[in-house]
Amino acid sequence: MAPFVLVTPETVEEAIRELARDARTPTAVLAGGTDLLLDLDEGRLEADRVVSLRRLPWRTLSWDGSVLTIGSTLPLRALEADPSLALRHPALLDAVRAVGGVALRHRATVGGNLGRSAPASDLVPVLLVLDAEVEVVGPSGLRSVEVDRFVRASRETALARAELIRSVRFPEPRPSAYLWQRVRPANDISQLSVAVAFSPSDRRWRIALGGVPPRPLLVPEAAAALGGPVPEEIEVREAAAVMAAHRSLVRDRRASDEYRRKLVGVLLARAVRAATRIGGPPR
Amino acid sequence: MSEGRPVHLTVNGTATSMDELPDDELLLDTLRWRLGLKGTKEGCRTGDCGACTVLVDGETTLSCLTLAREVEGTSITTVEAVARDPVGGAVVAAFAESGALQCGYCTPGFVMALTGLLKEGGRETPLPRLLAELGGNLCRCTGYAAIARAVELARARAP
Repeated sequence: MAPFVLVTPETVEEAIRELARDARTPTAVLAGGTDLLLDLDEGRLEADRVVSLRRLPWRTLSWDGSVLTIGSTLPLRALEADPSLALRHPALLDAVRAVGGVALRHRATVGGNLGRSAPASDLVPVLLVLDAEVEVVGPSGLRSVEVDRFVRASRETALARAELIRSVRFPEPRPSAYLWQRVRPANDISQLSVAVAFSPSDRRWRIALGGVPPRPLLVPEAAAALGGPVPEEIEVREAAAVMAAHRSLVRDRRASDEYRRKLVGVLLARAVRAATRIGGPPR
Repeated sequence: MSEGRPVHLTVNGTATSMDELPDDELLLDTLRWRLGLKGTKEGCRTGDCGACTVLVDGETTLSCLTLAREVEGTSITTVEAVARDPVGGAVVAAFAESGALQCGYCTPGFVMALTGLLKEGGRETPLPRLLAELGGNLCRCTGYAAIARAVELARARAP
C-alpha cells in the first residue's frame, strides 16, 4: 500500500473542515474500508490522506413511524438484526445478505456502498426501487438527493467536495424483492440482479437492474407493464420482454449478453412472485 | 507515514502498545509480522477467502480489509487463543474430531468465523443458516463435507 496519513476527526464539523482544506492533497474517505482499502492496497487508487469516519455519530438505525433512516456508517450486519426489516423492506434485507460474508458485513457500511458506487453494488438497485433519499452534509449544510441522481456512474456520485453521506432515508415500507445470479452463490459479485417494489402510495411498481455497467438503474418502461399490486402472468411476461431488450445487458468479463437477456426475465418473474406473496418470501 | 501516536490494542488478552505503527498498515500484517501471530493466514488479501478472519470485540472481521489503527482500543482474539473461550474450544475440538481439514490453511479462518457465529446466535442458530453464513470462508481441499460435520458437532456442544 502506498503510504498515507490517516486522519480521524472527532466531529462532523471537523471532518468537513478536514476535507475542505488543502484541495491539492489527494484524499479518500474511509467508512468500513472493505472496498476502499482494496483499491489502495492494489494501487488502483492513490491517496496521501485518508479521512476515517469511525468516530462520527452515524452508526444509527431509526424508525420514525414507518420511515426508516439508516446512518451512513452503520455496519451492514447490524441491519440484519432489525426485527422490522424483513416485513417492511424485504428486498433491503435480501440485498444486505448478498454483500460479502458475515465478517465483511461487520465492517461494510451503507454509506460506503453508496459512496463507492460500484456497478455491481447489491444495495443500489434496492435503494432505487424503494425511492431512498441520500442525506448529504457539507460546508453549506444539509441536502437530500434521490438515489437515482446520487449514483452517476462507476465510482462517480453527486457528492461535491468536502461533502459526506450522513444517512439514507426510506420513505415508505413496500412489498419488495431482490434476486441475483452469480457463479458462486456466496461471497461473489452478481452477474445480474433485479430489484422490484410496489409503492402503496402511488400504486406503481418500480423495477431496477443491477450487476450491469455503468451503474444500477431503474427501468420504468418495464415497470409500467406491471399494473396493480398483484400483476397478471401476461403483464409479467410483457415486463420481462421489455427488460430483455434493455441496452444495459451487455457482454463483460462476468457474463455474456445472451445469458443476461435470458436470465433477466427469469429473475424478474421470480422477484415479482416473491414480492406479491403475502408477508413476503419465506426466509 | 504515521500520526505518530502509539496504538493500543488488547491481543489475546494482553495489552499491547505499538509506537511506530504506520497509518497504512493492515491488521493482518500487524498480527503476523509485528506480533508474530502467524496462525492468522493471508489467503487472497481481497476479502474473498476468509482465511484472515479474527474477532474484534467479539465480531468476526477480515483483518486483510481492516487498518490496524482503525481498531485501536479494541480487544482482538486470534486462533492462537480462541480455545481459551468455551465456544472456541468446542469449535477447535469439533474440527479436530471431524477431521475437517486437509492442508489446514483455511482452518484458522473457519474456526474464528464459526466461533463468532456461535457466540452471536448460540446453539439456537439453525444449521442451514450457520452453514450459509460460513459462505465467506473458502476451502480448496476438503469439499466441505467434513467441515459441515464439524459445524454440526460444534453447534451441538456449544455452551
